[in-house]
Amino acid sequence: MLADSVIRAGSNATFFAPGAALGTVLLVAALVDGGRGLGLALWLGGATYVGAVVVAGHRIDATAPLVAVLLLLCGELSAWSLDERWRMRFDAGLGWRRGAAIGILALSALAVAALVVALSAVPPSHGLAWTVAGAAAAVAAAGTGVWVARR
Amino acid sequence: MTGHTSPRLTVYASLAAAGLVAGLAFGRVEPVALAAPFVLALVAAAAGREPRVSVSLLLDRDRALEGDEVTATIALSSTGGVDRFELLVPLPQGVSAEGGHARALLLRAGEERTIELRLRSERWGAFWIGPVLFRARDVLGLRSWEGEAGEAQPLRVYPSEETLRSLVPPLETQVFAGNQVSRVRGEGIEFADLREWQPGDRVRRVNWRATALRGSLWVNEQYPERNTDVVLFLDTFAEVRAHGRSTNDRAVRAAATLAHGYLQRKDRVGLVGFGGVLSWLVPESGTRQLYAIIDTLLSSDIVHSYALRGVEVLPPRTLPPKALVLAITPLLDDRTAAALLDLRARRYDLIVVEVSPVELLEPDPASSAELAHRLWRLSREALRWRYEQVGVPVVTWREGEPLAAPLEEVNAFRHLARPA
Repeated sequence: MLADSVIRAGSNATFFAPGAALGTVLLVAALVDGGRGLGLALWLGGATYVGAVVVAGHRIDATAPLVAVLLLLCGELSAWSLDERWRMRFDAGLGWRRGAAIGILALSALAVAALVVALSAVPPSHGLAWTVAGAAAAVAAAGTGVWVARR
Repeated sequence: MTGHTSPRLTVYASLAAAGLVAGLAFGRVEPVALAAPFVLALVAAAAGREPRVSVSLLLDRDRALEGDEVTATIALSSTGGVDRFELLVPLPQGVSAEGGHARALLLRAGEERTIELRLRSERWGAFWIGPVLFRARDVLGLRSWEGEAGEAQPLRVYPSEETLRSLVPPLETQVFAGNQVSRVRGEGIEFADLREWQPGDRVRRVNWRATALRGSLWVNEQYPERNTDVVLFLDTFAEVRAHGRSTNDRAVRAAATLAHGYLQRKDRVGLVGFGGVLSWLVPESGTRQLYAIIDTLLSSDIVHSYALRGVEVLPPRTLPPKALVLAITPLLDDRTAAALLDLRARRYDLIVVEVSPVELLEPDPASSAELAHRLWRLSREALRWRYEQVGVPVVTWREGEPLAAPLEEVNAFRHLARPA
């Protein structure tokens, strides 16, 4: 994903390459060091992609849903790998359940992201409404995170 | 239960919010598409509910011997089910579980499951097993709830006993009937001597053959069977512990073995724990006294103390006159050495069983510690010589040797020397 972003940036690749390299290093370090730096690695991956897409100035990138799902899978599979390092006996079916849950989440996320990209092709007749809806969605996303954390 | 969220949930929330804001700021849909999966993950996390679980812990028995296996049964149930239920039974040092003491399992709604842990008691002691620590997680591991349940269960692991063919006999016995042949003469089974008849002697004691030979009444004298008062003097000032072995562990095993042996002979046995924490049991007989001694031994840990302490702090009935005092000590602390010499000066029948720490402290031959080790061994040799000069037998119980071996040396010492 990071490599794709660097390639996509074209002549601006040298600007994004350090971020991509750092993100890769942080991801590897997170897997070795018990998860520290995983969040920063995901942030760098997302920021590198967004930066590359904005700078590239292309039309809508149709691979955005795939990139989003890959970023999510990066986080989920890393967390799963770190959870399985606890030394304990476990039921055989637990691994299959989590794998299935991650798969369902990834497919659902792909569908939702693709829907978002598809909807963006609809001409926006009410620009202000879309802006307000977008801001509300951003606030709702952050608020959901805070609410879940406090429960 | 205490609820927790995975740290990545915060990251997902920030990524989602940042993606949506970036989409608005740059007027691009790609950041919004990037945020969508993370919003979905947040919704999945929000859907999780605190589970209701029931956990109980039971042991199949509360008393065991060293090396025995005890089964801990954990009963689980949940009304709503748990995608991933992790449990951990904290075990004290000295108790281990086959296959580890942590489990992860799936708990379906309404299902009751039983987990059995096979615990092995590697060392004597009084332990508490439990309570059960658990963590219930959703299927993605985004949220978890932790708590503890079940009552801690007591487990008393008794020290294993050495095999003894014979016990050390005392120099003097007590006045009550027992199994020990006394040195004084009276009514008994063992023949002692002949003497002339005196008024009050019973007719059945008359030795008719001697009477016929000598023309006057002669009677048999016997050695009566009497009991003994034995005091086990356990030194708990200091120990040497290395590679999972300890002088205190062996000392407790020796004390348990000797207490059992003497109590079986109907003797009275008492206990003195002489160390940072002073403990004592007045000499008594019977099975109840055996359990009292074992329970006291289970709680005899080494407690470091700088208090100057002598035998005068012990209650008078703890050390009865003419008692046989068996001191079990690694001879590491000067206070114990002084107390034992004090006991000898008070005319107690004293035997010192040295639980040798030398095998646990072998130095590297190439290092300068070798010289210090030799000096230390020499100082211990000098201390043993001091005891032997006042007539106290000091026998060394080395690692790997049966306890019967040093006790036989006591008998050999007593044949060669008489106490002063």
